[in-house]
Amino acid sequence: MAIKIALAGEGGQGVQAIANILAEAADAEGKEAIYIPNFGVEQRGGVSIAYVQIDDERIGSPKFPKGDIVIALSARAIERTRRYVDERTTFVYDSSITAAAEIQEDVMGVQANDADPRVQRETMTVDSSKENKSGLNLPDNAANVIGIPANDIAKNDLHPRVFNVIILGAVIKATGVVPVESIKKAIEDKLGSKFEANPELRELNYKALEKGMSLVERVV
Amino acid sequence: MSDKPVQGEKRVFMTGNEVVAWAALAAEVDIMYGYPITPQNEIMHYWTRMAPKFGRKFLQTEDEISAGFTTVGGVMAGKKAFSATAGPGNTLFQEPMSMAEMMRIPTVVVIQQRGGPSTATVIYSQQEVTMTTFGGNGEGFRVVYSTAGHQDLYDYTIKSFNTAWKYRFPTFVLADGYQAKMREPLTIYDPAEKGIEMVKPEPFVGRPGMPGVDRPTQYLRNTYNTEVELYDAVMDIAKDYEAAMEDLMEWENFMTDDAETLIVAHGVVSRAAQGALPELRDAGIKVGHFRPITLRPFANEELRKAAKNAKKILVVESAYGQFLKLVKEALYGMDLPIETILRPGVGITSEEIVARIKEGR
Repeated sequence: MAIKIALAGEGGQGVQAIANILAEAADAEGKEAIYIPNFGVEQRGGVSIAYVQIDDERIGSPKFPKGDIVIALSARAIERTRRYVDERTTFVYDSSITAAAEIQEDVMGVQANDADPRVQRETMTVDSSKENKSGLNLPDNAANVIGIPANDIAKNDLHPRVFNVIILGAVIKATGVVPVESIKKAIEDKLGSKFEANPELRELNYKALEKGMSLVERVV
Repeated sequence: MSDKPVQGEKRVFMTGNEVVAWAALAAEVDIMYGYPITPQNEIMHYWTRMAPKFGRKFLQTEDEISAGFTTVGGVMAGKKAFSATAGPGNTLFQEPMSMAEMMRIPTVVVIQQRGGPSTATVIYSQQEVTMTTFGGNGEGFRVVYSTAGHQDLYDYTIKSFNTAWKYRFPTFVLADGYQAKMREPLTIYDPAEKGIEMVKPEPFVGRPGMPGVDRPTQYLRNTYNTEVELYDAVMDIAKDYEAAMEDLMEWENFMTDDAETLIVAHGVVSRAAQGALPELRDAGIKVGHFRPITLRPFANEELRKAAKNAKKILVVESAYGQFLKLVKEALYGMDLPIETILRPGVGITSEEIVARIKEGR
């Protein structure tokens, strides 16, 4: 069975790293897998998108029009990934994020300086009557929309650095595309030397993975 | 120090840039000259990491003009040399590669196309087709392999060195940003174990003996004083090129025998075309796909054969008609309508091709 996943976040959030781990784990399982990163010229700060396809058969075009799973980890990532969502898509977003400040054209001169759209902060311009309290403009055509407070959990319960691993856990649970053991092995291959130096890091990553898995139900 | 970087056959999961570096090692390349540019940087990174382990060398030059000329110089000195670049770097490479074309220097350059014009995006395009096939001042006597994935990247990077050294034309491996950065499985191998004999490089300058007495004189000219001299020199190259064309041209046919609609696409876009065929055939549409592997020389006759039953052609490319020009030239005189999906700098999916052909029925 083919599974198409688009993961998007702010550059530096680690979406490319987890997409890579996911593809590597699928390859190790003997499946066909393709991972393509997509980002702008900036090292950090732009929206970074990872496309992953996992299949039992040879994969055709590396890109796809609609994803089975689309994950957006920032307000801007939600906007950028909307086009990959259709009525079969499970859309996962980080419910601990809030909408970016809205820039009003008529006061651009003032706001352009202090309302950097890359900074996500609470804003008063959101219509609080909307059902979605975060003010995020979520796609309304998805099969499922799942909000998980990954950022908050990472910050409060684990460590901000394993934010992306929580997301990875959610992806593998939602898709069932690779067993958790292969993911652990792929993480080990990637970070083994760091784990040797600091075994607590391994524990932290595994905890984050399991936390992510506990947050969602299998949907694909 | 082992002299065989790849032994036996091995299934691996790598980025395309890593694949190119391994292929160059397996092809017994002595030295890479290069200047960094996205999305080919990791070819240099992997090469510099691995080369010392196998006694190979690397030189980072001050820019791409220099990378091109040092590649030419390395080859003249008898080394198997190559380089890799993209986008604006490819633009700068055209000058040294024009020189290599005129002097018949066997160079290999891997191009990972990014978006143009100028620096544009760092991601992906097929917008370096015109530049890579005909970009220099000269007649475009060169060989351009357009790869569609990682197995191709490995196979054709190895092959490009033999093509260049055997025929002495600048040879390009034309891939793209997706292939550069994407990870997918492939099998790497030692060419010798597959019966592929790598052509040994020979020095063009500084050979032992007295020229004209112990050995023939090497005429390595890039400058001609008269029109007639230039004409003769270029016509000699043209004659050699035309003689080699039959050997050089490569293509693939997919269900073309009875195809009434023929999709023509190259490189990674060919995979979208291949992916579109089963669904279209299931829907009862007689569709086929022709994929040229060499964009220069272009298999004109083979395309015409593939189109013999076609009622229309659909050209699909991630550029605004660069590949279309090659196709039109090949089909000249055939009375066939040509439709297009032209998406400069944007990847094309099987679904788009399916939708277009279904709506056009």
